[in-house]
Amino acid sequence: MTHFAYRGRDEADLDIEVDYVVVGSGAGGASAAVTLARGGARVAIVEAGAWRDPEDYPTSAYGAMRDLMDDWGAQVTMGRALWPVVQARTMGGTTVINSAICVRTPDDIFDQWKREHGVEGLRNRVLAAQDRIEEDLFVSEVPVAARGRSNLLAMAGATAMGLKESHYLRRYVKDCLGAGQCLQGCRDRRKQSTNINYVPETRERGGVIVSCAPVDRVLTEGSRAIGVIGRFVHPNTRAEGTRFRVRAKKAVVVAASVTHSPLILMRSGIRLPALGKFFRAHPGTGVFGCYDDPVDMNVGATQGWASTQFRVDPGLKLETLAIPPELVASRFAGGGTELIKRLSRFRHVAMWCHAVRAESVGSVSRSLFGSRPVVRYELDGADMLRFRRGMHLLAQQHVAAGAKSVIPGIAGMPFELDKDDIDKLADAPLDPRAYIAILSHLFGGCVMGRDEKTSVVDARGRVHGMRGLVVADASVIPTNLGVNPQHTIMALATVFAEHLLA
Amino acid sequence: MLWLVRAAIVILYPRTDDWPGAEDCDLDAFLERFRRESTFLMWLGVVVGAIVFHLTPLMTVFVPAPAFLLSPALADRHAHKVSSSNVYLVRQAIFLVKLPGGLVWGSHPKVRERFALPALGGDPGTFRASEKANDP
Repeated sequence: MTHFAYRGRDEADLDIEVDYVVVGSGAGGASAAVTLARGGARVAIVEAGAWRDPEDYPTSAYGAMRDLMDDWGAQVTMGRALWPVVQARTMGGTTVINSAICVRTPDDIFDQWKREHGVEGLRNRVLAAQDRIEEDLFVSEVPVAARGRSNLLAMAGATAMGLKESHYLRRYVKDCLGAGQCLQGCRDRRKQSTNINYVPETRERGGVIVSCAPVDRVLTEGSRAIGVIGRFVHPNTRAEGTRFRVRAKKAVVVAASVTHSPLILMRSGIRLPALGKFFRAHPGTGVFGCYDDPVDMNVGATQGWASTQFRVDPGLKLETLAIPPELVASRFAGGGTELIKRLSRFRHVAMWCHAVRAESVGSVSRSLFGSRPVVRYELDGADMLRFRRGMHLLAQQHVAAGAKSVIPGIAGMPFELDKDDIDKLADAPLDPRAYIAILSHLFGGCVMGRDEKTSVVDARGRVHGMRGLVVADASVIPTNLGVNPQHTIMALATVFAEHLLA
Repeated sequence: MLWLVRAAIVILYPRTDDWPGAEDCDLDAFLERFRRESTFLMWLGVVVGAIVFHLTPLMTVFVPAPAFLLSPALADRHAHKVSSSNVYLVRQAIFLVKLPGGLVWGSHPKVRERFALPALGGDPGTFRASEKANDP
């Protein structure tokens, strides 16, 4: 067997030995695994979710919540506002349900890591890894035929506003058909999520894949990591199955996500003061523009346009995002016949969103009962000002693109603002509870750094004080990037794996 | 509790002259499936949302009766007002029951057709079983 899926309690425990075990199969885990496998090592990928091929993907948002998301997408931040923290739980991780946006790590990030965290020597290797990954995963700009009207309008609006930095996105997508199904998984196999490339390649190179297998903890002998253990969980019934143990002769690589990697280390007895700390995110929300002609935002690339013009000041990224009608139905305020009336204009609205490069810091910890992660996070005043500014900018962009009105979705404000009234957004409330937001890009919890008091891993991803234990996902990123993180995560994981092979 | 959730969703997503309501979108089958497949906490949240929905007409339309006993016109007014409540926790609770309503309404072929979108292909729920290296 080279792929072990769910095993019931009546079956024998699974016990295997490899050179390296990689926990998680998303951007970080799959990149580390394939790098190790290409280096000639025998690798096991242990993934909490099931291995679903594109034919297995759901088509509805309900199905995506059920089959692809961690905890049905119901994880929320603990703070004044309950904002969803969206991550996947499936082979390929969040690369299956994101929009596959590829942005190289900005130069200033390496300087910041060096200045604030003593992390050096990564820049050239990360950029070289990103070159290779772009080739591997067919990175290209959204093709003209797949742009869709929402993305075209966004470009037109940005141009009319005089934004200097405005572009169609580069994505890990080969010949996009513009099906608008990125968030439910690309059944056309165009999106290059890791479950269709790096994971199968790892297996073809002699690796072992273990799915439906959430890792409980890392096994240690003294200060050396020697494997992982856990119990299979059925992806549909959530029934617990038999135990699995995967022993690693050389090292254990943990890449189970920002919310789960810190918890695995905590359960494994790691007692570093920074573990679970320095959680950061890109909170964001959308503003709908209402147009005279149909926009049909679900036709074309789910996310096809972006601007990083405001990444440094005030700290924002603007981008398009098409969500399906079943999510708009609960996203729009109101109920009853008024809600149906509002939803009847679905074809005429386009949703564009912002991601705030927030400075606020939170934490990830274990729930009192069970092993669920608890994310404590709240935006401070400065970040709320950025948040509000982003919404105002999006409204201005919609109007510049020809929208007659906008729907900001802010409690305490009118449902819809006429194009002449959008400046009211400059005085919108700064209470996070007034907004419907989401945390999509997460960082921290096992951050890199030189100091054991303020970091969990070093610049090679090695957990301080341990041997053979590496973290290789977004949890090591010590600062907020201000751009989509997948490319940085993949490159860092690749570099950490290269160090393991050296 | 299923009927309570169903009643709330029917009021939140009502049938109108032009549009199908949630009750026209295979709501019963969806709710059975949702209750069976979702986590305990998720279903609990939906039930709590429905309870809040039905117990709050006094706050919105000033009638001391549960929402499922209101006249259609009053229930409609309540649905809109409670969904836009100034009280954050009430708004969040109502969101929990709006979410499954939106999932069933927005994904139904009748609604998608009106939005010029093709019918969805279903959610197979399948995944790879254990396999050897040379298996296809």
